[in-house]
Amino acid sequence: MKVKFNNRDPVYVQVIQHFKQQIAAGLMEPGQEVPSRRELAGRLKINPNTAQRAYKEMEEEGLIYTERNLPSKITRDEKILGAVREELMLEAVENFITSVQSINAPLDEVVELIQKKYKEKEAGEGGSHD
Amino acid sequence: MIEVKEIKKRFGRKKVLEGVSFDAKKGEITCLIGINGVGKTTVLNAIMNLTPLNSGQILIDGERINKNSYEKITFIPDAVTMLPRMKVADAIQFMRDFYQSWNDERASELLEFFRLNEEDRISDLSKGNAAKVNLLLGLALDVDYLLMDEPFSGIDIFSREQIAEVFTSHLVEDRGVIITTHEINDIEHLIDKVILLDNGNVLKDFRTEVMRAEEGKSVVDVLREVYKK
Repeated sequence: MKVKFNNRDPVYVQVIQHFKQQIAAGLMEPGQEVPSRRELAGRLKINPNTAQRAYKEMEEEGLIYTERNLPSKITRDEKILGAVREELMLEAVENFITSVQSINAPLDEVVELIQKKYKEKEAGEGGSHD
Repeated sequence: MIEVKEIKKRFGRKKVLEGVSFDAKKGEITCLIGINGVGKTTVLNAIMNLTPLNSGQILIDGERINKNSYEKITFIPDAVTMLPRMKVADAIQFMRDFYQSWNDERASELLEFFRLNEEDRISDLSKGNAAKVNLLLGLALDVDYLLMDEPFSGIDIFSREQIAEVFTSHLVEDRGVIITTHEINDIEHLIDKVILLDNGNVLKDFRTEVMRAEEGKSVVDVLREVYKK
């Protein structure tokens, strides 16, 4: 687990974002145990209080859950998992729109380019790359 | 909690501290940063009662510092204070004899964590390893508060990373730490709170996560602004 932290956003917010990305990408599965707060702090080289804060927020958002004294786990709630995916996609698209609008790129050209590049990338990942 | 209340200190005519107040809680890492160099170490010395104050007060868990406080708080200076010809094991033995709060289990854990060799002589240690031994001797004490003076100064980046890692572990957790450093980049994500000293006054006192959330600024950003003025 490695996260490149920026200096603008609170660290706990970035930790939550990281978990959401992992969940959306399927790298963390529903019901999977998450590291203890101390383990997380050690792995990400962050303050244990910050790790605690991130877990508290994620628990409140329903992203993770804790049963009795067992380690916390990623939620199995399909609705929440779907919402995470949607949230991340929306965020990415919004960022993208902001940057293409800043250069006044016409929508149809942009869409065409997206489709072309998307396919290229998918093909490229399967085969050799230059 | 360590409460520093309106402390003032003069060396001859020179005013070093002109009414410094802040507090440092257990379970948190408080970073003392000085713009012009002076003051930080004096504050740490004052907390340890190593330098008489002209006025003001320092309380540790609500009490003025007394003999019992030394089993509760320790000061880790910026260099090893053991004799150079001692082996690391001798230094450990010395601490064990001297302090009731010495914790052997934690000492062994730290030796392993830092990959230090007990048979090495203090005089033969690299700068990085000397800094680690120095930290070990303080961290192995079962005290609630740790004062660290420049634990990162003058050592290589990998040793600094390893030292920073200690802060995320149970070796430090739940204790209160006050640290002075110039190497903010190494611990930007590790500290809870920053006390910025300038000319003997507290210029800023803020929590790092709040600063990021409310103003979108890192500790380095805040320092940069202050330096520019």
